[in-house]
Amino acid sequence: MKNKRSLFAIPYVVWMALFVVIPIVIMLVYSLTTAASDAGEGLHLTFENFTGMFDYVTVFGRSFWLAIIATVVCLLIGYPVSYLMAKEGPGFQRVAMALIMLPMWINFLLRTYAWMSILENNGLLNQLFQKIGLISLYNHITGSDVEYFQMIRTPGAVVLGMVYNYLPFMILPIYSVLCKMDNSLIEAAQDLGAGAGEVFRRVTLPLSLPGVLSGVTMVFVPSVSTFAISRLLGGGTSMMLGDLIENQFLGGAYNPHLGAAISMVMMVIVLICMLVMNHFGEGEEQAVML
Amino acid sequence: MRKQNRFGGRFVIGLVFLFLYLPIFLLIVFSFNAGDSSAVWQGFSLKWYASLFENRLVMESLATTLLVSLLATAIATVAGTFAAIGIYSLTKKWRDPILVVNDVPMMNADIVTGVSLCLFFVAFFNGWHGFAEWFNSVQHAITLPEQLHLGLVTLILAHVCFNIPYVILNVAPKLRQMDKNLVDAAQDLGCTWMQAFFKVILPEIKPGIVSGALIAFTMSVDDFVISYFTAGSSTQTLAMAIYGMTKKRVTPVVNAVSTLMFLAVLVVLVINNIREMRQEKMAEKRASFEPVKPNPFIESIREKLATPQGRVFRRVTAAVLCVAFVATVGLLTAFTTSVPVVNVCSWGEYIDESLIDQFEEEYGVRVNYQTAESNEAMYSLLKSGGADYDVIVPSDYMISQLIEEGMLEELDYGQIPNYSQIDDRFKDLPCDPENRYTVPYTWGTVGIIYNAAVVDEEIDSWSVLFDDTYAGQVLLINNSRDAIGVALKYLGYSMNTTDPDEINEAFELIADANARGVYQGKVMDEIFQTMEGGNAAIAFYYAGDYLSMVENQADGVDLRFVIPKEGSNWFVDAMCVLKDAPHYENAMKWINFIASKECNLANMDYIWYASPNAEALEEYPAYYEELYGEELDEETYEIMAAPEDVLERCEMYVCLPQEARTLYNDLWIKLGI
Repeated sequence: MKNKRSLFAIPYVVWMALFVVIPIVIMLVYSLTTAASDAGEGLHLTFENFTGMFDYVTVFGRSFWLAIIATVVCLLIGYPVSYLMAKEGPGFQRVAMALIMLPMWINFLLRTYAWMSILENNGLLNQLFQKIGLISLYNHITGSDVEYFQMIRTPGAVVLGMVYNYLPFMILPIYSVLCKMDNSLIEAAQDLGAGAGEVFRRVTLPLSLPGVLSGVTMVFVPSVSTFAISRLLGGGTSMMLGDLIENQFLGGAYNPHLGAAISMVMMVIVLICMLVMNHFGEGEEQAVML
Repeated sequence: MRKQNRFGGRFVIGLVFLFLYLPIFLLIVFSFNAGDSSAVWQGFSLKWYASLFENRLVMESLATTLLVSLLATAIATVAGTFAAIGIYSLTKKWRDPILVVNDVPMMNADIVTGVSLCLFFVAFFNGWHGFAEWFNSVQHAITLPEQLHLGLVTLILAHVCFNIPYVILNVAPKLRQMDKNLVDAAQDLGCTWMQAFFKVILPEIKPGIVSGALIAFTMSVDDFVISYFTAGSSTQTLAMAIYGMTKKRVTPVVNAVSTLMFLAVLVVLVINNIREMRQEKMAEKRASFEPVKPNPFIESIREKLATPQGRVFRRVTAAVLCVAFVATVGLLTAFTTSVPVVNVCSWGEYIDESLIDQFEEEYGVRVNYQTAESNEAMYSLLKSGGADYDVIVPSDYMISQLIEEGMLEELDYGQIPNYSQIDDRFKDLPCDPENRYTVPYTWGTVGIIYNAAVVDEEIDSWSVLFDDTYAGQVLLINNSRDAIGVALKYLGYSMNTTDPDEINEAFELIADANARGVYQGKVMDEIFQTMEGGNAAIAFYYAGDYLSMVENQADGVDLRFVIPKEGSNWFVDAMCVLKDAPHYENAMKWINFIASKECNLANMDYIWYASPNAEALEEYPAYYEELYGEELDEETYEIMAAPEDVLERCEMYVCLPQEARTLYNDLWIKLGI
């Protein structure tokens, strides 16, 4: 019987071979060749694209650092929200879940433009701060003379953009694990004398770890490779890997070979991060790793 | 105590919703804006809603988006769920590598996924072409189509491809959570596998499936890059249309569309919720001690489906659905190929759209009008073989690059009598010295835009971009060619220099100013809302766009435009035809039509960019006066169409050699690092 079920994996494996593996192989070939092979001068394998990558160490560092911060913030907000949502009635849950996804069905660019007008120097937030006297208070305390807080075009704005965009991806998997959790386990723990904190630490949290792992993956991975968020909210001041890669494909120099190479390296690093994280997750009781 | 907790919880959830909905609220507010801006309020108006339903580009792309997203989500959800069940029942040795490969489409930068899928499809089409030719030559019973094109099918395939991993990631934790013995128990009790699936597995993993489907749908709706590279030349999603607009300004029409979509979903949600609540209450009333019965209708269907006759029925239904799907797609393709068409790729908000309808009526040729984000994005797509446009409208430097690489077809000027109306100034251009490939579309200049409410002096030099007077108030253009070009001009060099020392010197000027914090940031189209709202004092951009900014500036902002004394860049965007264009004759008709005086006047009025048509350019002030009942300000006209003496100071870009382009790009990245 068990074998029959695993047959379901076969079509997907074939699909992946076609639409995931082959394109990756194409890109791998790209990353190992240069424009000379495009010009029909034969296929020359070279590591040129990879060796030049040390120039971009800061971009790699920044991308991963900002993505980690965004993931942690998402987790810190997303877990309690999922937890609280799962405790509500089914009607509330249904509506809340749809409401969490709804903003994302509106185009990313439009939402980001809206964020820009909130964060700009004369934007909504700064006007609010002005009205409630926060800015004059700040000037009073620090003895400075600012008219606004610089929020847009800072790394902070980039993190905000990531959190805003990917928070639903953290909430949904955690919530879907929490709401189907067996309540009798918690009751059993309480009957055995565990306090609220202990119940959470020793029962709820370990049981919800698979959802957390899924959520972290779905936030961290796109955050690392994002582009446009750093361009629009970061004002191009904090270039990320996504921008770097995009620049090779859509920049004036058009060098897909280098773009492919950077992408390959990024993928390998993300992969290592995921393996380490999953390994860490595996150590917890009950949580089977992905 | 309990109640208080719940209140606290709802408060936290409320805060998160506030965070999620604040920008949405703003966006909805600006769909009612009387102006074009998405940041400066100019009064209440419903005009964007009124123009929405006439806007074919937006409506068609909305329909495509919904079709593609729904289909791709449905396919990915079903396929992903079964794949997850299958993968999960494998041994760990097999499961882990499969799951790693599953994550790959998520880990890859979108653009890499997009380009690689595009290359893959194109390679497959080439292979198919060979096969179909051979197949058709050895037998005559069935004729296979020899030429396949990127389009709806590849677009849906690509979406399914990046959606499945999200479904699996959401279903997998639920499977892990499920007690594996449940299925075995159900089967021991006589369930078929299917029954066990519907009665045991499905209810257990349902929340995971639902959240997976939601995320998949979201990714589909929002995706731009992958769609761009896999949609071909006649299909366009809403996201593609919106990104296409960023070369100029994103119109509030898309805010209006989004608001309507948002409200539609909200209404469905509310109705659904009320209905379900009522049902729950009724069920409670009917039998408070009995477990809630599943919907008897669905249950009866399920029972019927489990019988042997049901199995036949099931298979027939599945077959019918498959046939219906293939037929729909087939019909769509057949429909689009049987009508004479011309595939045009231009920039968003770069044409008076009524001209498209007019052309279609006059010539009986359907126009597939697509928009690209930038010259470079279009070049990249063409290089990957992802589009077979007939007419494109690249800028000067890109034209020379395309000619150099043999990607353009010569025009048959005999079929374009209106070419004679083009002003001589726009013939013999450096990018097309022998007038073989181009019919100019628009032209204009680049200059400094500054807010006179903040800047007290009259600016006349590029120096303001590099000294500390307005530190933190200057916006740099996020485009290496323009930014370094301006610095070169300031230093007295040619904008087209290939001397690495001169380029480096110009770059150092920018890098130094950047290090001193002169620049608030690097912008492209965000410049509109930033300058209109008075959030920066100085920037440089295109003259036509300045005029659009002035129209939309906030109270207390006083924007001015100047072409500095050192000179600047002037550009021409021209219509060209791609090599091996599938609809060459129709392309000639389109180009001739657009080159006419009437079209040029309409476009000039719509996009604020000057026309190369001599008579249209001259007659525009009169046309304006007739249309709006007021005189066109002479200054405005001169900004739009720079007079001869200003143009003499300006230089047109030519395509730089590859080494210089690489240098530009490397320097630009260095600035970002």
